[in-house]
Amino acid sequence: MKRVLAAAVAALLPLWAQAQTAGELTKGASDQHNVLNYGMGYHLQRFSLIDQINKDNVKDLVPVWNYSYDDNRSEESQPLVYNSVLYVTTNSATMAVDAKSGRQIWKTKVDYPPETPRIVCCGIINRGAALFDGKIYRTTLDANVVALDAKTGKEVWRQNAIDFKTGYSMTVAPLVADGVIITGVSGAEFGTRLFIDGWDAQTGQHLWRTYTIPGPGEPGHETWPGDTWQHGGGSTWITGSFDPELHTVYWGIGNPGPFNAAVRKGDNLYTDSILALDPKTGKIKWHYQFSPNDPFDYDSVAEMILADINVDGKPTKVVMDANRNGFFYVLDRTNGRLLAANPYVNVNWASRIDLETGRPVETEITARARAGEKVTVFPSIMGGKNWEPMSFNPQKGLAYANTLNFGGHYKAIAVEYKAGDWYLGMDLADLWDWPNGPRGYLKAIEPMTGKAKWETPSDIPRFSGVLSTAGNVVFSGQLTGEFEAFDADTGAKLWSFQTGSGIEGQPITWEQDGVQYVAVSSGIGGVYSIFSGDERLKGVPAGGSLWVFALHRK
Amino acid sequence: MIGRGLGGVAALALALIAGRSAAGDDMPRPAGAPDSKAERVQSGRALYAQHCSHCHGFGMVNAGNVVPDLREFPTDNKQRFVDTVTHGKNNRMPPWGDVLSSAEIDALWAYVRTGGK
Repeated sequence: MKRVLAAAVAALLPLWAQAQTAGELTKGASDQHNVLNYGMGYHLQRFSLIDQINKDNVKDLVPVWNYSYDDNRSEESQPLVYNSVLYVTTNSATMAVDAKSGRQIWKTKVDYPPETPRIVCCGIINRGAALFDGKIYRTTLDANVVALDAKTGKEVWRQNAIDFKTGYSMTVAPLVADGVIITGVSGAEFGTRLFIDGWDAQTGQHLWRTYTIPGPGEPGHETWPGDTWQHGGGSTWITGSFDPELHTVYWGIGNPGPFNAAVRKGDNLYTDSILALDPKTGKIKWHYQFSPNDPFDYDSVAEMILADINVDGKPTKVVMDANRNGFFYVLDRTNGRLLAANPYVNVNWASRIDLETGRPVETEITARARAGEKVTVFPSIMGGKNWEPMSFNPQKGLAYANTLNFGGHYKAIAVEYKAGDWYLGMDLADLWDWPNGPRGYLKAIEPMTGKAKWETPSDIPRFSGVLSTAGNVVFSGQLTGEFEAFDADTGAKLWSFQTGSGIEGQPITWEQDGVQYVAVSSGIGGVYSIFSGDERLKGVPAGGSLWVFALHRK
Repeated sequence: MIGRGLGGVAALALALIAGRSAAGDDMPRPAGAPDSKAERVQSGRALYAQHCSHCHGFGMVNAGNVVPDLREFPTDNKQRFVDTVTHGKNNRMPPWGDVLSSAEIDALWAYVRTGGK
């Protein structure tokens, strides 16, 4: 009997070692030995309490190992860490790597049809995986959701979300909330109608779909004239945040299609909005729209950070967003009430956001754009901040964000829908209004005012995620390859290391056997390098790899 | 010496122009393709913006890190261009043969040969 019990326990042990529970995921933000969530916690704060690396000793940071992705596309994936194994994705593979030695444990290739890149708007990429119950979950460019065995990399289940051919692709890292695998879709530039899906973690069974563009009979459908809702866009390509106490998922929704707003007169719900969802059913609890009837591609998919902060002296559960439209929003996440919305970059399309109505007060620039004139608008269609995730340091109450410092030229033109083609309705010649100086700043932003406590410029803007730590250090990367550390109080640069290709990845940190490690993916090829025409990047080679750093041991 | 040298360069240049002419622009044009080069370039520019710019950059301006800089595509090698566009390449460039007609690929080639100027 004893022997039988021992055998049973032995058989279960590996399962226990592999099985990330819902409880573990909920505590992800305070788990210093693992990185279990996209965003380093359900709140997406990308802040670590580990302070072994601090602003005084970060100058002694050295590489520990480098792992080649054998992939020369843009590397925007955030690695996860569990029990000394890193799990990381590219567009072309999922990999498990030993965290200490950098040796590959397994690699499972992603095979998609050669036609797929035809309908991928802005870089051949993947943004990461989710980890739950012994499985790795990821999405693929040809719109599949896949579960792999975390131990072996073998496929457990695969579900096709939708036929990719008319413009649907998937790059998002899934979210596991209340045991449901939740995924979003890209493709608003192709005249699609997009959605968020829920999947059963064990079997892959499709549980629910919430369209971001309401269909006939659904609330909000009246904000779309005629059949424009069928091509209304509303992408969902960045992982939502999750409040386990409120059982609510917060997901950012992308731009309407086409860009030409005259085609779709009305507010165009739920484009450029935040949706608060029930993870079990996908039901919308509340919504808030940042940019109604948006002409300027002010896509609002980027991270919705959760924090508990003091508002008018009262501890308040908020959700924060540095929106593409140039305003920094703070909302009460229990009900969607707008608490603050202030510009964090140069903005000329709206003079302010009315806190009573929650609506922007548009300027004459936007009126002229709507009338069909060519205008110079701030921010440009790349936004005040693009997709690259910011970090929120709750100890300092500051959001560290890579912001963009340029405007754009905008002119709406006629457009006809053709399946699988770009559906923009915007003149693409002469798009950018570049400044003479820096095109980007890393800023330490006060959420309630939008004001920067400090900013550090970059001639070529940064498109890397940001990580901040209790060691008073802020980490970020440059498109020219430098991985950098800054003083969280002053923005002074403390350390830099050349990673060999441009950084568009999402840095993470964890502690193992008494050592704090920092990891980031390097590999150029995302939206700025494709569309900016910035030929200063010519000397930056492609080539994806994962770097891991720690303090030099004397 | 100088004269001979220059003559050699001129002959080479002539040969190059002839070669370019034969392999580049004067191949038989598919049915439906506009006759005028200017029309083909204009049509190619619009097709490029629609189908190619989301990887190769607006107006072909691209740092060339991840996808080829089309301004550097050899202007005397139409066949390579047509083959690559039609069938794709290296499992990176997607095939367009089922989307674009021969006349459309011909127009794209006319545009690519301009180097975006």
